[in-house]
Amino acid sequence: MTHASINGRMIQPKPGQTILQAAQELGITIPTLCYHPDLSPVGSCRLCLVEIEGWRQKVAACVTPIRPGMVIYTETPGLVEVRRFILSLLLRHYYDAGYGGRERPETEFEHWVRVYQVERRRDSQAQPRFAIPSDPHPLVWVDWNKCILCTRCVRACAEIQGRFVWGVADRGERAHIVAGLGSSMLEARCESCGACAAYCPTGALDDKMALGWGRPDKIVRSVCSYCGVGCGIRLQVKNNRIIRVSGDEQAPVNGLHLCVKGRYGFDYVHHPERLRRPRVRRYLLSGRSKSEATAAEREWVEVDWDTALDLAAEKLTQIWRESGSDALGVLASAKCTNEENYLMQKFARQVLGTQNVDHCARLCHSSTVAALSLAFGSGAMSNTMHDVAEHAQALFIIGSNVTEQHPVFGSMLRQAVLRRRIPLVVADPRRIDITEFATLHLQHLPGTDIALLNGLMHIILKNGWHDTRFIAERCENFEAFAASLEAYPPEKVAEITHVPVAALQRAAEILARHKPVAAIWAMGITQHTTGVMNVLALANLQMLLGNLGVPGGGVNPLRGQNNVQGACDMGALPNVFPGYQPVSDAQIVRKFDAAWALQPTLRSSDVSPTLGLAGKPGLTVTEMVHQFGTGQIRALYVLGEDLALTEPDLPHTRQSLAQGEFLILQEIFPSETSVFADILLPGVSFAEKSGTFTNTERRVQLVRAALEPMGDARPDWHIIADLARRVLARQGRYPAGPWAGWQYTSPSAIFEEMAALTPLYAGISHARLEHETLHWPVPDKNHPGTPILFVHGFPRGRGRFHVVEHLPPAEWPDAEYPLLLTTGRVLYHWHGGELTRRSMVMQLCPRPVVEIHPDDAARFGLNGTRQVRLRSRRGEMLAYVQITTRVAPGVVFGNFHFPGPNNVNNLTNAALDPVSKIPEFKVAAVRLEPVPEAC
Amino acid sequence: MAFEPVLLRHLQIPGIQHLDTYQAHGGYQALKRALELTPEQVVQLVKDSGLRGRGGAGFPTGVKWGFIPKDHPGPIYLCVNADESEPGTFNNRILMEGDPHQVLEGTIISAYAIRASVAYIYIRYEYGRAYRILQRAIEELYKHGLLGRNILGKAGFNLDIYIHRGAGAYICGEETGLIESLEGKRAWPRIKPPFPAVQGLFQKPTIVNNVETLACVKHILERGPQWFRSIGVPPDPNNPRDIGSFGPKLYCLSGHVNRPGCYELPLGITARELIEKYGGGVWNGRRVKAIIPGGLSMGFMSDQELDTPLDFNGPLKVGCLGLGTAAVIVIDDRTSMIDVLYNSCRFFAHESCGQCTPCREGTAWMTKILARIRRGEGYLDDLDLLLEIANGIGIMPGTTICGLADGAAWPVKTAITKFRAEFEDYIRNSRSRSVTLRETTKTL
Repeated sequence: MTHASINGRMIQPKPGQTILQAAQELGITIPTLCYHPDLSPVGSCRLCLVEIEGWRQKVAACVTPIRPGMVIYTETPGLVEVRRFILSLLLRHYYDAGYGGRERPETEFEHWVRVYQVERRRDSQAQPRFAIPSDPHPLVWVDWNKCILCTRCVRACAEIQGRFVWGVADRGERAHIVAGLGSSMLEARCESCGACAAYCPTGALDDKMALGWGRPDKIVRSVCSYCGVGCGIRLQVKNNRIIRVSGDEQAPVNGLHLCVKGRYGFDYVHHPERLRRPRVRRYLLSGRSKSEATAAEREWVEVDWDTALDLAAEKLTQIWRESGSDALGVLASAKCTNEENYLMQKFARQVLGTQNVDHCARLCHSSTVAALSLAFGSGAMSNTMHDVAEHAQALFIIGSNVTEQHPVFGSMLRQAVLRRRIPLVVADPRRIDITEFATLHLQHLPGTDIALLNGLMHIILKNGWHDTRFIAERCENFEAFAASLEAYPPEKVAEITHVPVAALQRAAEILARHKPVAAIWAMGITQHTTGVMNVLALANLQMLLGNLGVPGGGVNPLRGQNNVQGACDMGALPNVFPGYQPVSDAQIVRKFDAAWALQPTLRSSDVSPTLGLAGKPGLTVTEMVHQFGTGQIRALYVLGEDLALTEPDLPHTRQSLAQGEFLILQEIFPSETSVFADILLPGVSFAEKSGTFTNTERRVQLVRAALEPMGDARPDWHIIADLARRVLARQGRYPAGPWAGWQYTSPSAIFEEMAALTPLYAGISHARLEHETLHWPVPDKNHPGTPILFVHGFPRGRGRFHVVEHLPPAEWPDAEYPLLLTTGRVLYHWHGGELTRRSMVMQLCPRPVVEIHPDDAARFGLNGTRQVRLRSRRGEMLAYVQITTRVAPGVVFGNFHFPGPNNVNNLTNAALDPVSKIPEFKVAAVRLEPVPEAC
Repeated sequence: MAFEPVLLRHLQIPGIQHLDTYQAHGGYQALKRALELTPEQVVQLVKDSGLRGRGGAGFPTGVKWGFIPKDHPGPIYLCVNADESEPGTFNNRILMEGDPHQVLEGTIISAYAIRASVAYIYIRYEYGRAYRILQRAIEELYKHGLLGRNILGKAGFNLDIYIHRGAGAYICGEETGLIESLEGKRAWPRIKPPFPAVQGLFQKPTIVNNVETLACVKHILERGPQWFRSIGVPPDPNNPRDIGSFGPKLYCLSGHVNRPGCYELPLGITARELIEKYGGGVWNGRRVKAIIPGGLSMGFMSDQELDTPLDFNGPLKVGCLGLGTAAVIVIDDRTSMIDVLYNSCRFFAHESCGQCTPCREGTAWMTKILARIRRGEGYLDDLDLLLEIANGIGIMPGTTICGLADGAAWPVKTAITKFRAEFEDYIRNSRSRSVTLRETTKTL
């Protein structure tokens, strides 16, 4: 007998399949409460009991394997009685205080109570047993009176987020869920991801922000607008307002899981400070020059779109005529869609005729892109997040605070360590959260990554642990590289990095003895004057160990912003057209020149006869901002970028912005940068437009509009195209090439144009993305995408080893500035904080803090003072003190989430990496002084 | 032929807790004998003896051992269940305190048989004296090469024994609850399968045996399975499921008898004989109203059922859950069954771990109803409600993960079916009284 039957229907049991899963396969519903497919089954609610012919006992379908020959019944009169009995037991202590209104969506528990028509029976509790709410968490609603002890929250926290906040206290009917040992959630180190609420079947745990809003009018699938992980979300919308964000269970990246920002950080979309109408400075209307304008004339005036766009177009055209293309600069945005980034660089290159187009990837992973292109010929994450989490045999995380910056991926890595017990080596100057899961933490000094990596490779080579076959077959320049490692014996490396020799030995052994190892990094590696060299060292390491082109290995830079990968892919970089087609390649320039051709042609140059495009890279962000101050760049068109918060050495940045001639800023909020803008164009948030984002693992996903734009705001692609048409009209030119026009009806039309010109994206279209997500490269319409790169070879042929030598950072602590400042972000904030500071998430981290080691706190006399002033050679910052051993003595850590005097970028050093021009955000020398409390 | 005690035989010998005295009385000869055999042969001996677990369920010990996967690379664990918590049961304590080496010898033999390299003795916290005596005995064994590596020179036979003290929860006596607790977790019983013999402590094959079971193993090795089978009750030919109840058993007699205590007798003695011949009859010249045959969770037998043999099969015939731990509690005719049942329900509600809905909520509800009845606020249909709850949480098989709810349900079912008239009388007569009683309490 090979079959079993359920309610008379035959099924062939699969190995490991439970009765419940088999029933679901047949479309038979068995009621459940404690069961959830994402969580380990516990079989404790007993609602899913079923009968098997010939068996004395009923069994829980969720935990009982189905076997051939079983004759199963799921809904006999006896079982119905059992279910009614169990539900009536659960109702004994269930107490609904009635908040949330009658329109409140039905919970799973209420559903089954209704279906089985169960009522409260004798001796049931009619009084609440717990305070409402039962926990002061600002975002997660807790009401234990509704708890039925299914423990889904306990398991979600342990098995998905990996934080173990929840547990069960006491026993019998007094058993109840507790955070920690009976503390509040936040005291129990809750990370506010809301997974517990997402999995709660009763509303005992719920999203506080959604309470009282009732049922949504519609639910729209989209992609989160925060980090590069690219979680699929469902926007629940009512009356043109997002009332709740939940994980999209169909999303390949995250399923129901989200982090605190993704789940609760959506309300910035509705913040009252949203820009609703275009604004221009009064002097633009009166025709006075900026320098002569009085304070009153510098005020904003709200205008209609025609006025604003005409003023912008007029001025851009005037400068273009007077000073030429290269007096103009365009900054695209990693927060905007692929379509919009494509348009921004097209605007720069076609309409303005300049290669001066860049975006904030310059400040995060430009060194990664440059280095990986040098080593392999392609500059993106080589493997996927799930591949790393499921197949790596060891993990090496360096310079990535992954659980705070890419939280959903961070929790995947925690689970990989917990479930598969793979070793994890973390190299980070701070004792970041993921070190709790690490086999080994190498706490090296900031700015000593090359010494550390070369030291590890020295040990690997000395022990003969390197992959000679991989090196011989797929790499080049090994000998010179190997020779260079001679200079990095462990003792010397220990001296430079402050990592003990024994730890170096052990780390090298772990990395070498497990195969494959996935190397994961982020800003800790890239934001240095040696950023490119740092990444090259990591590329060397992975080639040395033969960890490339295989599942579970690879080079895995984690991209910071939701679409920074896409913005790079779209060619919003001064050195490449879309799809990394180099501007230095004459054939490529000709290709785009033809595609975007305009009539009448400009006076021709040799390489680009019609558009006047230079065959060499344009300026980078930092250079453009600097030249804006000096007048070489006369106008900047900035899309969604807050330069006055995120650039290094902000005093200089502000000065440059203030001195600049003409700044068009397209934004959703009056940002710090808007102070310096001449025209402010109101774009829209991700929730109000459609398009695509490409996440850190090169996965292209569809973003779907869920809301009407706020006020008169318009989708950004719409604004860019409108401005382009107006400038072209003033230039007296019209589109002639096949892809030269600006009459787009939808983002999918823009995508189609981009795909036609970009081989990496050639096979992708919005139509395909409606039902799948794709990892580029996708060379044609039938190609399934490329989750893992370098399987059959490197784009440049052989992987190239580079000799990289340790160089000290541009600035190092001295007597005057004795502390080493390193910077980064915190879990609860996003980038410059423009979004999260305008969200409920702000309540979880309302103040700027700097982390200071207790020894330094004592050394600098911080006896209990709450605030400090940090000074560097460039500026000063005021922040609250957090005394912690997360940082090593002599190192302080600050974040850039808060504006004005509270921003750490007032202190950071604008020293640049010579190749990628990335600034050294990660190392600066500072001193600190306590700020006396105001009485 | 008069029955000679086996397990309690050496209890009165001064210094038997010490290794040298124990050895002077033939101690560890059974271990030597075992080490001359292969582990498989030891398992076979135990299978042949028909030894059934003494902890309550009566599962054949040798069969359980046979569930360990063949050729498992290890480690394999043996857990000694000394979390003796069933109300009325105290024979493990007597064995551990009185003759610890007998228990340890059985443990070492059993570990050898199942190829366990580590044994954990999970002892309830209240057994402080037993803990200290066992710990001292274990230290002696290490000193004399009877624990540690290559025990008694047997190459490759290594065993460490650790004692783990519980923190006072009945559920830790349930074998998977015990395992969870040993792992440092909340003692929530596990779903079976997988059974511990396949995936137990730290996900490794694990055997959990009761103290008394292991003590029996020593004697089976010493005297052979045939000797063991010569004691007790052979299978009932009319019941194909009965596999017989062999060997000596430590009956714990308590309650309203003149001579409570632990009596070692062949399995199958009747309750009447135990109470009258060994227990000296009911105290103060009273009569038996009811007895609990094998720990509280087995339910009640009435005075009409005292001739039931107390073997693994006997109590089933009179509507009880089983023999359990063979802890007989005698209830005299002046005791209120309402009070007894309230006490029972309160115990199980207090000890319910809280994992499964029926047990967590049902035990509490039944306690609440009985408290109400005792206060004089009962309804006649409360009795049917109690039966419904008992049926829903534990009489009906498969309603919960472990057997705790069964143990909570059977006393309710047997008390109400066998003593229904007393409950009904009480409910009828107490309703009027209770009003004044409560009001008095209030004014106080």
